[in-house]
Amino acid sequence: MSKLDVDGLVKRFGGLVALDGVAFAAAPGEVLGIIGVNGAGKTTLMNCICGIYRPDAGTIHLDGAVVTGMAPHDIATRGVGRTFQVPRVFRRMSLIDNLLVPVLKRRAPDRTLIEAAEAMLERMRLIDLRHNFAEELSGGQQKLLEMARMLMPEPKVVMLDEPFAGVHPTLCRFMIEQIEAMAAAHTTVLLISHDLTSIYRLSSRVLALNQGRVIADGGVDAIRGNPAVIEAYLGS
Amino acid sequence: MATATPSSRTADRERADRIYFTLAALLGGIVIVYFACVPLLGGNLAFHFYLMLWITMASGFNVSSGFSGYMPFGYVAFYGVGAFTTAILVKKVGMPVLATLPLAGLAGLILALLFAPTLRLSGIYFAIVSLALAAICRLVITNMPETITGGSFGLQLGSHAEPVLSFYVMMVVMLVALGTILWLSRSRLGKALRAVRDDAEAADMMGINIARVRLQGWLIAAFFPAVCGGVEAWYTNVVDTETAFNTLITAKTVIYAVAGGLGTVTGPVVGAIAMVWLDELIWRRFPLLNLLILGLATVLLVLFLPRGIVGTVLRWRPGWRRFVP
Amino acid sequence: MEILVLNGIVNGLVVGGVYALIGMSLTLLYGVLRVVNFAHGEMVIGGSFLAYVLFHAAGIPPLLALPVAAVSFFALGYVAYYLLIPRLARSDDPESMSFLMMYGVSIALAALMLLLFEADSRSIDYTFNPISMKIGPVYVSTARVVALAITIVVSAAVGLFLFATLPGKALRAAIMNREAIQIMGVDIVRLSAFAFALATGLAGITGVLVALVFPAFNAFSGPEYSIIGFIVIVLGGLGNPIGALLAGVAYGLVEQLATVFLPQALAQIVGFGLLVAVILFRNAGFMRWRVGR
Repeated sequence: MSKLDVDGLVKRFGGLVALDGVAFAAAPGEVLGIIGVNGAGKTTLMNCICGIYRPDAGTIHLDGAVVTGMAPHDIATRGVGRTFQVPRVFRRMSLIDNLLVPVLKRRAPDRTLIEAAEAMLERMRLIDLRHNFAEELSGGQQKLLEMARMLMPEPKVVMLDEPFAGVHPTLCRFMIEQIEAMAAAHTTVLLISHDLTSIYRLSSRVLALNQGRVIADGGVDAIRGNPAVIEAYLGS
Repeated sequence: MATATPSSRTADRERADRIYFTLAALLGGIVIVYFACVPLLGGNLAFHFYLMLWITMASGFNVSSGFSGYMPFGYVAFYGVGAFTTAILVKKVGMPVLATLPLAGLAGLILALLFAPTLRLSGIYFAIVSLALAAICRLVITNMPETITGGSFGLQLGSHAEPVLSFYVMMVVMLVALGTILWLSRSRLGKALRAVRDDAEAADMMGINIARVRLQGWLIAAFFPAVCGGVEAWYTNVVDTETAFNTLITAKTVIYAVAGGLGTVTGPVVGAIAMVWLDELIWRRFPLLNLLILGLATVLLVLFLPRGIVGTVLRWRPGWRRFVP
Repeated sequence: MEILVLNGIVNGLVVGGVYALIGMSLTLLYGVLRVVNFAHGEMVIGGSFLAYVLFHAAGIPPLLALPVAAVSFFALGYVAYYLLIPRLARSDDPESMSFLMMYGVSIALAALMLLLFEADSRSIDYTFNPISMKIGPVYVSTARVVALAITIVVSAAVGLFLFATLPGKALRAAIMNREAIQIMGVDIVRLSAFAFALATGLAGITGVLVALVFPAFNAFSGPEYSIIGFIVIVLGGLGNPIGALLAGVAYGLVEQLATVFLPQALAQIVGFGLLVAVILFRNAGFMRWRVGR
């Protein structure tokens, strides 16, 4: 059974149809790349899955249960985490506190949670900055902090929105390793990017969106040679 | 900084906590001893009563503005409603004053629940709506039958004045407020509130029920000014709409809290102490200029010290953030 | 009854014109600078006191006080802008902090007027000849008719300026997109200073009209006008000058007609209630609701 199952998803903004019957499924441990030009509906799709937008039609299943129309915090509690195109950290909170936010509802004692947060910061190489405010980090460090915060509650599905945009190559390599580690831990990874190289490297399967529709869904090689994808990217 | 191993990190954390709680206990102890001695040693009762009142008001305001990110420019509404609740219950129902104080707080909570829909607004819209709601409260109470609210003469509490007892009650209220905020700043609710303040949508996607968290913060922020209103009514023995809903009460609360620095426990306390003292000094020397200087001080604060006294110090010394309550 | 209603309509137009001017100034300021001017009411009352002083100390009639108020307040606004606004941009939360700062300015201005003129209500003993006019079946004081004429002329001038001149178009563009206009090579600081000065100048004019239209004013009348201004700009849509104009007139009409049927205090409550309702159910309300449910 797949972790995430999206079927017939439609989202309209006024007259604009942002998503037009998007359907796909993603299994645990899979890195599903989602590609498409600006305005293809990638971010809208993500916002629907995590509950920020209420879809006009269609369903989203998580582990067999319907989550469509649930509030974002309920969907998050069910194991969906994400990062943002432009990092959205809690600016005037320490890094430790940033990581504690997604696990505040856990019953575990504070001390256990703090130690878990410290371990996570160590993994993300941010441990020496743990008492700093998030606003004091560089752009790349904020991306790592977001990733750490996303992983804290051990989510089943994670969605990464343009994780490599504007990131230094060294950091880029480090983030790729982290994503591979997530997949190895049986997390379902949705990777949004318009940078095809990183997608081709990480993803076993790629979903190509254009004007709110899935125009191709398949292995990397199939997508690379797909005429519809080439046309969407290069124009006719 | 020793960060190499988990165990050294634990030791480091325990040391920071020790400093934090020692500081909190030390400052709390000084405050308790100082204020407890005022009536015993024949100090200026009125000055210190109002000092405690403003510390409580500014601290309560801080829960809303510093922790949750809302600037209620109609904060006086809670104070005024608390004052009238106590006055009406004492005068018209004949309850003992002390018993009315929790009910004054309850009235504040009820008012906060009525205003809760405004929490979905943000920034300037919230500020303006809050202002208008306070004006509505004042108008409604002003226009209630004179037999209930005493009309323009207000309500005299009569023979219930007990300056020293009400002084100590004010002290208890202040200590409860400070204790609550000390707890809040380390609690999970406090972290959730700060997250919502910094980015509500992101917090929502991190599993925080933002509507519930905001409401909880809002109720805490509304409770204390309402009790303050009740205690002050008891202390001065008279309540009328002109003073109980005076916008200057909001103004002073906001200015004192901002002067100290929003978002820390000590900020509003330091701000209230500094500004009340300054206010008294100016009041004595130039009674006519008092209001003018209050206005100018606000402008200067916003322009030159927007983070307040404590906030500015912590900006210079970020390492101290772990130790300063 | 009909006479009362007609009277209410005429007075509503007169008073609404004053509110429209306040609303237009506030909305310009918010649109261009993102500053909600809490002190606008005090600036208006400052204009009233200027007219009062000019008449009682120098015998200058209110109509001649108009240009004096406009020019002097414009200049004051220019200076005030450079003293107050540029530093604000550096704060964490410029919008709320600007509100707080203008709150301080409002307290300081009210205190200053209190020092200069004491707490008594003042009015200008100037009368036009004839003292009142008959419009249809109702009598209206000439002062009010003159005030209405001035509001129409001033708001038409502002409208013409905003829609038919280059600097006016720049202001409107700045309201729509503050970032884009800077890329287009417009000096946003100078434009903002001009907007602030323009709004202050309009406050001066409004103040003279307030002295003509309303029976009296005092140092503490300011907040009333500021709050009405907030209601008007919210009703008209923040940053929309024409919306503010229409909302001002509409609010004036509703207020004056309400006083025909309702006790004064209740009419005020209705006004504030209207503000709360409009903000909650229209502006930003629905957008935030989804997130805040």
